[in-house]
Amino acid sequence: MASQELRTHAIDMSSVLRAKGNQKEHNETCIKIENLNLFYGDKQALHNINMEMPKKKVTAYIGPSGCGKSTLLRCINRMNDLVDSARIDGKILLDNENINDKAVNVAALRRRVGMVFQKPNPFPKSVFENVAYGLRIQGINGKRILEETVENALRGAALWDEVKDRINDNALGLSGGQQQRLVIARAIAIEPEVLLLDEPASALDPISTLKIEELINELKEKYTIIIVTHNMQQAARVSDYTAFMYMGELVEMGTTSQLFTNPGKKQTEDYITGRYG
Amino acid sequence: MFYLKFPRLSQTSTLRKQPADIKNAPGAYAKWRLLKDSWARYGVIGGGLAVIVAVVLIFFYLLYVVFPLFIPAAVEPVSQFDVPEKALGKTLLLAIEEQNEVAGRFTDSGQVVFFEAATGKTVSIQAVAIPEDAHIISFAQGSPINEGAVIYGLSDGRAVIVKQQYKITYPDNKRVITPSLEYPLGEQPLILDEAGAALEKIAVQVGEDTTTIVVKTADKIRLTSFEKVQALFAEEASFNRTDSVLDIPAVEVADILIDKEGRKLYLVSSDGQLSFVDISNQGSPAIKQKQNIMETGKTITSTAFLNGDLSLMIGDSTGLVSQWSMVKDGLNRPAMQKIRVFKVSDRPVLAINSEQRRKGFITMDADGYIGIYHSTAERELIKERLSTSLPVAAVISPRANALLVQSENGKMHFWHVENKHPEVSLKSLWQKVWYESYPKPAYIWQSSSASSDFEPKYSLTPLVFGTLKAAFYAMLLAIPLALMGAIYTAYFMAPGMRQYVKPTIELMGALPTVILGFLAGLWLAPFMEKHLSGVFFLLIIVPLGVMLFAFLWQTLPKTIQQKLPEGWDAALLIPVILLSGWFAFAVSVPLEALLFHGTLRDWFKTELGIGYDQRNAMVVGVAMGFAVIPTIFSIAEDAIFSVPKHLTVGSLALGATTWQTVTRVVLFTASPGIFSAIMIGFGRAVGETMIVLMATGNTPVMDLSIFQGLRTLAANIAVEMPETEVNSTHYRVLFLAALVLFMFTFVFNTLAEVIRQRLREKYSSL
Repeated sequence: MASQELRTHAIDMSSVLRAKGNQKEHNETCIKIENLNLFYGDKQALHNINMEMPKKKVTAYIGPSGCGKSTLLRCINRMNDLVDSARIDGKILLDNENINDKAVNVAALRRRVGMVFQKPNPFPKSVFENVAYGLRIQGINGKRILEETVENALRGAALWDEVKDRINDNALGLSGGQQQRLVIARAIAIEPEVLLLDEPASALDPISTLKIEELINELKEKYTIIIVTHNMQQAARVSDYTAFMYMGELVEMGTTSQLFTNPGKKQTEDYITGRYG
Repeated sequence: MFYLKFPRLSQTSTLRKQPADIKNAPGAYAKWRLLKDSWARYGVIGGGLAVIVAVVLIFFYLLYVVFPLFIPAAVEPVSQFDVPEKALGKTLLLAIEEQNEVAGRFTDSGQVVFFEAATGKTVSIQAVAIPEDAHIISFAQGSPINEGAVIYGLSDGRAVIVKQQYKITYPDNKRVITPSLEYPLGEQPLILDEAGAALEKIAVQVGEDTTTIVVKTADKIRLTSFEKVQALFAEEASFNRTDSVLDIPAVEVADILIDKEGRKLYLVSSDGQLSFVDISNQGSPAIKQKQNIMETGKTITSTAFLNGDLSLMIGDSTGLVSQWSMVKDGLNRPAMQKIRVFKVSDRPVLAINSEQRRKGFITMDADGYIGIYHSTAERELIKERLSTSLPVAAVISPRANALLVQSENGKMHFWHVENKHPEVSLKSLWQKVWYESYPKPAYIWQSSSASSDFEPKYSLTPLVFGTLKAAFYAMLLAIPLALMGAIYTAYFMAPGMRQYVKPTIELMGALPTVILGFLAGLWLAPFMEKHLSGVFFLLIIVPLGVMLFAFLWQTLPKTIQQKLPEGWDAALLIPVILLSGWFAFAVSVPLEALLFHGTLRDWFKTELGIGYDQRNAMVVGVAMGFAVIPTIFSIAEDAIFSVPKHLTVGSLALGATTWQTVTRVVLFTASPGIFSAIMIGFGRAVGETMIVLMATGNTPVMDLSIFQGLRTLAANIAVEMPETEVNSTHYRVLFLAALVLFMFTFVFNTLAEVIRQRLREKYSSL
């Protein structure tokens, strides 16, 4: 009985993957992680991670809860700096530049590597001010340029038509899905190179989830996207590459179609077929 | 009714019975649970309501005490009767004693008819010792206070001074008032004009030791004074007599007034010439000033001193009563100055009588109206017409609660007056008032003095000003320190340090304010006075020291820096602040001498003209700021600390620096809490009593200067409430001050709460 379900599941997966079609295989590396170890106090959360993420592609991190996928994501814009006990060694190269270097300006790095969190976190300001926030903190205050950028960002996040009439209303009045797209608009308003999405749709209803996924598809034209998700269909639907992590280690990484249809490791197969996780 | 199953009982009973009965136990327990729930609910509702009721009761009690201030005055006719002993002549003066029982009628035939004020029944008739060969030409009353003396000026240059007396005895426990006459300078008439000319006008002031008499004959104004000399062992006192003639043409003088000290003499002519003569040296009176106080075409129809004899009330032919008081002019010379005008009538003012214990007066005008006024409050309290016929004489009782009026048709009217609080009006409480002897209108709080003829000054404005000033300077210190501290503690400080810092600062709030006030008044105020420059250097040197230290710390090798756990940097500053503070005071003395050639305090005084009081707004700002800091800090810190982490993280993830995140997201989101922290701190500073009482000097001045003292509403209540007479105007005005304070804090707290609620609603989905 269980195997029957699994098989149906697998068929669903493959149909999704087939629908994505063949992709162009020439890829330029955007982020390269070398021998990354992360410790929370005495506890090691990431073990010797090595991986490369190609430019203008969607890479998904999957794995069971607590496997370190969000921790790894947070290393890329050094959000782990905010955790007092966190200690990192190893290299993360963004365009061949080690972001873990002491000399790196963290604020400037985060401007280049935008991030969207699991829970929508608009500021208690107007829709306009939310999107303009990233610009204002860069010292950009010109009215024209702000208006233009805000509109472009909101269009880019497929939100413009819904909020153009209440651009000056408080952003907290938007629905959860709208808030999440607003947060994406806020992130892309400053034109980052990389967009980190930490389970962006897990707190949303199916329709909002669908909109976010469509949005990710559009955004990868311009941005390198890394998405953490525990929803394997979602990973299969939106990503070009998938990395499977388990217990703080990178188990396997490959193109999404390969990983889901022909996993190289037993652990991966067990996970994607739902044996655990 | 009392069918109440206790679970313990039902449980034990179920245990003994069949297991099936266990099913009943949850039922009983559910009941018990519901009962507890409803108890709790009613308990909470009851408690909440009790708080509201208590606050409302306080409010209504304050209102209840204050309300009589605003009850309008009223008169009520008690009785009406024929003028007693009409045959004994016309009335020169009506008098009434303290208890409103016995009144006196001084007639132009030299008789005094004492009668019961309420019925007109004659009590006794007493004849004044007027010599057979002379008749009465003029008559005057000295100050009505102390059963004032009167003087009869006779046709042959002599005069008789008589004092009315009311002796109270209690035979058979019943009060009996026996009126009598007394001759303070002896029964023998005084010869004032040797030539025997008729005394056309006369005035007298009988004092403790000196009696002053001024008379006008056809061609002279004479001043005579009698100084009592009490020889040792002598039974009778003898009198030293001084005579002088004033260099003023007698023809013009229509009215003579001598103040109660016997030092100032005012001569008024009916066309408005007022001469002021200094008679403090009776031997040589000096004419100080002559001025015209009436516009042409008007004539003076009546004059009187206001109680205290500092102001002249001048009634004129157009129905105006103007108050003139001796005021120092720009060249520091005394000059009579019109300080206010009352419109009494369109017809001439016939007479003005002053109240004996307050700054009130009654008027009679040619329309037949009796008016009761209060000068300081500029109020017309009563305007009544007693009958169709004109009043000819009137007196208001010493306690100002009864009025006796004789009308032209030979009737006497006895009225009861209900006029307890004439001193209070919106103007006297809140606006500038021109008080007697003041050079210009001013806001003054000066509620009491030793003498009864003092003009109470009930302006709440300087007190409200003082309250706001003290709160302002306290907030000036407290807001930056408390908010910066709150931001640092909530946002930057290591949790390990925060867990010590926060309770410590909150503990500061538990310090009794009386101790803070005590320290502020007895240690801080003299210290600041002595080290004023040190205080200012402290403001410069401490921040500089902190910044210098921060800079030096940056340049230290990383290995040393890393030894300090993150967020503990503030601990390092403690010695830095102490050291730089000490340095500021140490360096201030030589630096002050060098820069200001002496002390900074003297420099302020001489160069900038800024005076320095030891108890001043700076001292109270520091002391009260210290008291307010824990309140503001604690609430603001909680508000900042509870800003959701996902917002700060979201901001940081967009490339904002920590400082940008704090200013643009954290403070913004915490603004309702910060706002309410400031408001609650402000409310506390406004209502604070002990610190301001002990550290401000309690001088109700309206001066913005940080070096000047002040008096707050709360301190004023604390200072004056113990010494005020219950239910007096002063007492009720103090309650009014309390009501103002109550409204103040109530309005501020409500406003703060409303704004906070609205802000919170705005951010509710966080």
